[in-house]
Amino acid sequence: MSRPRTRAEYLARLVPPSVAGLNRRSLLAGAAGTTALLGTGLLAGCGSDSGGSDAKTVSLGSNQSDPKPKEVVAKVVDGFQTSSGLQVAVNTVDHNTFQENINNYLQGRPDDVFMWFAGYRMRFFAARGLAGDLSDVWGRLSGMSDAFRKASTGDDGKQYFVPSSYYPWAVFYRKSVWQQNGYQEPKTLDDLTALAGEMKKDGLTPIAFADKDGWPAMGTFDILNLRINGYQFHIDLMAGKESWTSDKVKKVFDTWRGLLPLHQPDSLGRTWQEAAQSLQQKKSGMYLLGLFVGQQFDGDDLADLDFFTFPEIDPAIGAKALDAPIDGYMMARKPKQEANARKLLEYVGSKAAADITVKNDPSTLVANGEADTSGYSALQRKAAEVVGSATEIAQFLDRDTRPDFASTVIIPALQQFIKDPKDIDGLTSSIENQKKSIFTD
Amino acid sequence: MRTATVPREAGTAPASRRRPPLRPARVVLHVFLAAVAIGWLFPILWAVLTSLRSYEYTATNGYVSLGGWTLDNYVTAWRTAEFGKHFLNSVYITVPAVLLTLFLASCVAFVIARFSWKTNIVLLGLFTAANLLPQQALLIPLFRLFTRVPLPAFMSDSEVLYDSYWGLILVNVAFQCGFCVFVLSNYMKALPRDLYEAAMVDGASVWRQYWQVTLPLCRPALAALATLEVTWIYNEFFWATVLMRTGDKFPVTSSLNNLRGEFFTDNNLVSAGSVLVAVPTLVIFFLLQRQFVRGLTLGASKG
Repeated sequence: MSRPRTRAEYLARLVPPSVAGLNRRSLLAGAAGTTALLGTGLLAGCGSDSGGSDAKTVSLGSNQSDPKPKEVVAKVVDGFQTSSGLQVAVNTVDHNTFQENINNYLQGRPDDVFMWFAGYRMRFFAARGLAGDLSDVWGRLSGMSDAFRKASTGDDGKQYFVPSSYYPWAVFYRKSVWQQNGYQEPKTLDDLTALAGEMKKDGLTPIAFADKDGWPAMGTFDILNLRINGYQFHIDLMAGKESWTSDKVKKVFDTWRGLLPLHQPDSLGRTWQEAAQSLQQKKSGMYLLGLFVGQQFDGDDLADLDFFTFPEIDPAIGAKALDAPIDGYMMARKPKQEANARKLLEYVGSKAAADITVKNDPSTLVANGEADTSGYSALQRKAAEVVGSATEIAQFLDRDTRPDFASTVIIPALQQFIKDPKDIDGLTSSIENQKKSIFTD
Repeated sequence: MRTATVPREAGTAPASRRRPPLRPARVVLHVFLAAVAIGWLFPILWAVLTSLRSYEYTATNGYVSLGGWTLDNYVTAWRTAEFGKHFLNSVYITVPAVLLTLFLASCVAFVIARFSWKTNIVLLGLFTAANLLPQQALLIPLFRLFTRVPLPAFMSDSEVLYDSYWGLILVNVAFQCGFCVFVLSNYMKALPRDLYEAAMVDGASVWRQYWQVTLPLCRPALAALATLEVTWIYNEFFWATVLMRTGDKFPVTSSLNNLRGEFFTDNNLVSAGSVLVAVPTLVIFFLLQRQFVRGLTLGASKG
């Protein structure tokens, strides 16, 4: 198996259709065979044994392998250990491997509590019975907004997810550059086009853009779709319920085509880091990306960074919805230490855990609304306000739809569009045809 | 090659007896060989070069530049990916797996080579055919199996084969046996039959014929295989990723992923990590180069 190189490839492995179907088959086989007897009998025995002997522990599967977030997780876990007297065994696996292996992981022997993403990715595993119902934990959580509750709810109306942090997608720019040239934050699409025209005159690339890895362009598609067709259409389109050949989708591509000349050219050979650097080096005027764009900025440059939400396109829809992917925690379907797992989940969703995160990680926003956010930078505070005032929060294209659809259909399609934006009809009908072969159940 | 061409050319160009004239074909050959050599070496040299430079420098000046020399990447890579621990994990997996593979394979090869049973060909065919099976195709059945085979707690804290060193050793042994049986049986077939007749006359049991007659004679073959197997099992990445779930138990190849960030990957750091991970294989290769080459041709021709 070749090592995946792009985020798209990890996603492609996330849920092979063969595995999704295999569950049923293997259950049947297991019922007929002796393996089931062996497996369930012995394992059940083991489970109850260890349950009795070390009731003071709980295990946590963490995908936060970057040094900074890893440290933050360790501090949150420390906080839980002191307040509850329980021992947490943290199993850190690097972010990408964790994501590729999630199917194996959940069907094998997952940790009691594990980190995952809100949105379709969460609902997918909840619907397959691979995650534990957390409605009771939600009953005890305070400080979580309704938007977060909605994002944590599975198809059956129960909660399966405890959000911990999130980051919004917005249009970032350097305050100094804008002040120097007297630019104003655009309120409508026309403002944006006019502004971009000015930037061109001033020798700047108006909109930095990169799509080498395939996923950054999804952000552009998402925000245009949210502005033109609204949140519900986005969700339905991602769920395979709406047609990609509809005029609504065509209008998104058409608008995008109009904006493409304002974007940095040759984007398919550029990584988002390089695009972010063009913003940092004051060669580009603005850049639509997640808050993590700040990772490419240090010290003074970071303080110089500001953003606005993508301007309104249709006054009837407004400009209040945005992409803000949420990360958080879930519980395995049959945790060894269920009571302890619930305690841990309640803690990670609490104000105490959020306070620890705010204090230690400047690059993320915490989900709990009661958290003491005085430690936020100006950028974080503004981001939190924007998300707080958002009417709807989408999770980002690849988190809101089937992983195989996002990676095998959407990524090539968007890259094709960027390469040759003329043939929208052909493009959308090709997506629609492929969609039909993927959304079969 | 030279001995073959010299007599033919002797009549026409006696002066070039020592050095044949520079013919176009020869030039093409050398250009081709040089190009291939560079093609093979380029990725490795590029990785080494990249690993020695700071990310800040390459980010501003691009990779096609010189400067920003530093050794920090190696220090950081070693520390963030916790290579010390993971190298040890690789040892836990590789050493037993290689020893077990060689022992089991030599047993099978001995039987196939020394006894003429009707099942011999079938058995050899079975072991060789298993080599051709794509390992990935077996992932799901193996995974299911491994999550259901219990192990006592003192053998693995996971209490099943899944997520245990035992499981990985087993998988590696199973997949490597086929090749070793093939090579060893061909080698053993080439051993003189008289030796065994003499041994039998002296009253040596089958075990003794295997342990004290065959194995010592197979030492070159075993050495060659051991070298190859160490590199292969050490380099194994796939099973170590899918059959393990505890980050701390990953062997060094899988732990290389620790150097990739969620949104951001420092290619220079990953290069440094890759170079570190490749060092043991390179050391083994250069130390035991002769065995390596012999290992690749062993069994290629039936003695």
